[in-house]
Amino acid sequence: VINRRSISARVTMMNLIVSGAALMLACAGFFAYDQVTFREALVRTLSAQVQIIGSNSVSALLFNDPESAENTLSALRSFRNVASAGILTADQHVFATYTRNPGDEILNLPVLTQGQNEAYWFRNTHLVLMRAITSEGRVVGYVYVRAELSEINVRMRRYALIAAAVLLLSLLLALFVSRAFERGITGRIIGLADMARRVSRERNYSLRMPAAADSTEVGVLVESFNAMLQEVQQRDSALQKAHDELELRVQERTRELLSANRELEAFSYSVSHDLRGPIDALNGFSYVLLQQYGGSLGPGGEEIVGHIRTSARRMRELIDVLLNLSRVTTSTMHLEAVDLSAMARSIADELRRNEPSRQVRFSIAQTQPVQGDVRLLRIALENLLRNAWKYTSKHASADIEFGEKQEHGRTVFYVKDNGAGFNPKLAGQLFQPFQRLHNAEDFQGDGIGLATVRRILSRHGGEIWAEGAPEQGATFYFTIAAGSSDRPR
Amino acid sequence: VDEVKAHLNTAFSSVKRWRRLNTAFFYPLFILAMCDLPASAQSPRPTEFQVKAAYLYNFGKFVRWPESVSAGPVFTMCVFGDDPFGGALQQVTDGQKVNGLSVELRQVTAVDEIKGCRVLFINGEEPGWRSGIATAKKLAVLTVGDAPDFLERGGMIQFVLVANRVRFEVNLDAAREAGLQLSAELLKVAAKVVAQNPPGGQR
Repeated sequence: VINRRSISARVTMMNLIVSGAALMLACAGFFAYDQVTFREALVRTLSAQVQIIGSNSVSALLFNDPESAENTLSALRSFRNVASAGILTADQHVFATYTRNPGDEILNLPVLTQGQNEAYWFRNTHLVLMRAITSEGRVVGYVYVRAELSEINVRMRRYALIAAAVLLLSLLLALFVSRAFERGITGRIIGLADMARRVSRERNYSLRMPAAADSTEVGVLVESFNAMLQEVQQRDSALQKAHDELELRVQERTRELLSANRELEAFSYSVSHDLRGPIDALNGFSYVLLQQYGGSLGPGGEEIVGHIRTSARRMRELIDVLLNLSRVTTSTMHLEAVDLSAMARSIADELRRNEPSRQVRFSIAQTQPVQGDVRLLRIALENLLRNAWKYTSKHASADIEFGEKQEHGRTVFYVKDNGAGFNPKLAGQLFQPFQRLHNAEDFQGDGIGLATVRRILSRHGGEIWAEGAPEQGATFYFTIAAGSSDRPR
Repeated sequence: VDEVKAHLNTAFSSVKRWRRLNTAFFYPLFILAMCDLPASAQSPRPTEFQVKAAYLYNFGKFVRWPESVSAGPVFTMCVFGDDPFGGALQQVTDGQKVNGLSVELRQVTAVDEIKGCRVLFINGEEPGWRSGIATAKKLAVLTVGDAPDFLERGGMIQFVLVANRVRFEVNLDAAREAGLQLSAELLKVAAKVVAQNPPGGQR
């Protein structure tokens, strides 16, 4: 509220101070002028009185008649500010006196210097005026009057009263004027400030100040403020529109992409499924051909049919792998607590049973159970361990390690071997389907394993990455999001 | 006076000092002014005839004579009979002027010498003073005397003693008949003004 009022309060205060100061100065000037003119007028009036009294007192002085002189002096009774008066003889003796009230006698009477006809003295509370009385060019006596200056005080009080009244009125006027200005100028500036505050708080750029009808600076201010708001509003809506459009487009694209992906998957499934029939037929009929007509083909023919059979089997395997990948992607997930270390141990046992001749040291740490689909996770872990088993086959002593560690507040599992490793520059290609970093002669493989692993982990809300170098072994890290959920595909 | 000036000059330099001086300097003056000191303390108290001499001289200032008389180059004041002033009149009028004319004194012993006088003091102890009044009236001369029946005899101004103070009474009719105008200022300070006729036509 204080901030709100500050401009108008300041304008009001300014008005009050200016008008008050101007009035004070004017009053002081008038008062000083009045003082001077009043004193002059008083001296003139008293001088005239003293002259009349003087000339009327000549005979009284000459014929030593103080009663007559006092009679003359008593004419001063009609002058209320004359407190006392008197006539002195030529040798300064009191001849006749007049006092308005008892005790008004003049105490310290000044004297005229020689040759001086008339003189006056202003004292604190009164004015003393003295004049020589002459007859035939000779001074026969003196007349003096003492006038109270209380009238000046009365006038001063009256002035002060008038000044106070005028001051009050003009201050009221100033108050009214600043009220009017507050409505006109300050009010609109305050309104502008309020509006600016509201706009920045509500972020509502459609607000507008009422249009100004005049062309003052405040009007210009209001207009520019509105124009600015207009501009901001336009840009804001354009931005919002672009944002909305983008969102819409992204949703549309996502939808298109999803349906294309589904079609593609359905297509590849049906293709793989439908391809199985002819391949099975090829395989079966070539077997029949070799059994029944093997002898008539000759040794070259038999070998060719053997090649056909091998290729057909290989094709059958590929189709199975593709179907598996497709199933991994589309099958429904059943979440439950899975102990990955127990799973790794059983896979390791299976690998040793199949190839008891190899010397491989497994070290499998006990890990926290995770939430996931046990069938899919087994496929993923089997792929990783089988890879490690496979790529250590050229090494005399193989070490395969499974464990977990904490990194950036999440649990990271890893499968580490000391096998053939890979070129780290090509690490990105590891998880692409059918991408192989090693020759088929060196290591058997269909190039689909790691792609499958990545899909499974992705469905568990996790991710996978690898570190390694040629002949330095490889480490595969993966995460499984806690309470993982199947992402829509 | 110079001392006063000097004091005043220094006094203006400081209001405080002015106030102090005000009391210190003017108070004694006031005492001096207000105390009606016996005349003997300063100068010997004027005698009755010294006062009368001064009055006699001052009367001239408040009287207007007809044109025919006022034409003279000097202001002649005369004493009829023996001079009772004993040199006081000489003292008072020495070097003085009345209406711009220098004063001249003259002793008058016979009525035919009155012509040319402006003011005539008539000594009541002179045997022929009554005829002097009549002659002076015809010649428009202001007559002043101290005989107790001076006004009744047609004199214009008569000295009297009131409470041991010299004062005077005026016979306005006599003055008017002689064509003299006595100023109101003079009548104002007179102890008594005798006037049978209404005071119309005079100043």
